[in-house]
Amino acid sequence: MTQVHIITHDNEHLHRDKLEQYFRLRHEIFVKERGWLDLKRPDAREVDSYDNKNTIYLLAIDQDRIVGGQRLYPTLLPHMISEVFAPMAERGIPSARHIFEWTRYLVVKERRMGRTDCRLLAALQQFCLEEGVTEVTAVVEMWWLPRWQQAGFKVRPLGLPSMIEGQACIAASIQISQDSLDHVRRLAGLRGSCLVRDPRISPILDRIPHVAA
Amino acid sequence: MSGRSFSYATEAFEFIEGLENLVTPQDVINAVEKSFGIFGFENFIITGLPNPRESFEQVVLLKKWPVGWFNIYAKEDYVRVDPIIRLCRTTVQPFEWSEAPYDRASEPQAAEVMDRATDFRMKEGFCLPIHGIQGYEACFSMSGAHLDLSPQKKPALHLMAMYAFERARQLLKPSPYNGSGLLTPREREALTWAAAGKSAADTGEILGITERTVTAHIASACQKLEAANKTQAVARALQFKLIGL
Repeated sequence: MTQVHIITHDNEHLHRDKLEQYFRLRHEIFVKERGWLDLKRPDAREVDSYDNKNTIYLLAIDQDRIVGGQRLYPTLLPHMISEVFAPMAERGIPSARHIFEWTRYLVVKERRMGRTDCRLLAALQQFCLEEGVTEVTAVVEMWWLPRWQQAGFKVRPLGLPSMIEGQACIAASIQISQDSLDHVRRLAGLRGSCLVRDPRISPILDRIPHVAA
Repeated sequence: MSGRSFSYATEAFEFIEGLENLVTPQDVINAVEKSFGIFGFENFIITGLPNPRESFEQVVLLKKWPVGWFNIYAKEDYVRVDPIIRLCRTTVQPFEWSEAPYDRASEPQAAEVMDRATDFRMKEGFCLPIHGIQGYEACFSMSGAHLDLSPQKKPALHLMAMYAFERARQLLKPSPYNGSGLLTPREREALTWAAAGKSAADTGEILGITERTVTAHIASACQKLEAANKTQAVARALQFKLIGL
């Protein structure tokens, strides 16, 4: 049965193989399948400067195999929207201790018809609710918007769509809420939590380095 | 950023925020009519894409279409041959009507839809396909006699159309949509694995349920799809796009 595991700096030494699998899947999906050639690397592992001790990974794992994944990164630090996609957020870049950036979302090909998407979306909402994260920001391809909305996500555009690698993409902010969590669980018939808690992981809002305003 | 494109951005964000306060489907029609009129649009339709067992009228959410055209379109069942609808099923990108391919010689019915639409001032158009979660497919198609769709306007239009679609969907709750309502998520999962060549035992292992439960899901799916066996159920589910490969 698929469950979503949380990996942070606190427990990554126990999950190196899972992270490696996730990096290779990112290369497989973003570089080979989607053709984002800027991310191409000779070792076939897609890793960037936002994979570091501040990153939180939520990985959907079924019997030791990664079937989906996503990562969160503090917006108080330089992050993708502030450093790479700032022109897409003409209405302002949300940045606060309780706001995280959500990136590198993926589901393996053979699970795209099932409930893995809903499980990952539910895990994101649940994790953020439990940790006190109130909002996540993301750059997403426009065709994903109605999927999020159907899953019950409240999405505010940060700017107009722009073309990235031939696809219309948008920077957006998503409000975390119990309503959204209930909605996506209902939609997929998910009962209870699908998030695996690890007591080694310290509360994430306490971990954020303090940055002068 | 030029002042011109800035004004379209402002228009788009105001339109999107205004949608929150709309209460009835007619409010959405009025708001779309007003804001999309700025781009030259006169008519529009927000509709689900019917599976082979649904009629066009069943899946329409909102429309401001000439009555005469709607009647002809429904009576002739043009939804099955309309090149705009066909392109919607295969792309997630918005497109202009002129970009939807068809062959005048070998597809006279496709040509007929496009030709007869112009009798109702529906000469040029823009269409946004929607591919939702669990196989829900829809589109927002809009048209006018003289459109001026510059590259600066399209991003604003794209965003506005997506939010207008979502508001219409929320207010009308198209349920049960046959695509997702006909089969439960478990039934679709069981059939998807069957389509991938897995036995009931394999599928049970993958989903973490017993083989008996998998067989029960398949049996229930067979009944709903009026299929004689698992093979026919898989074929029908693929045909109706309830599962994918």
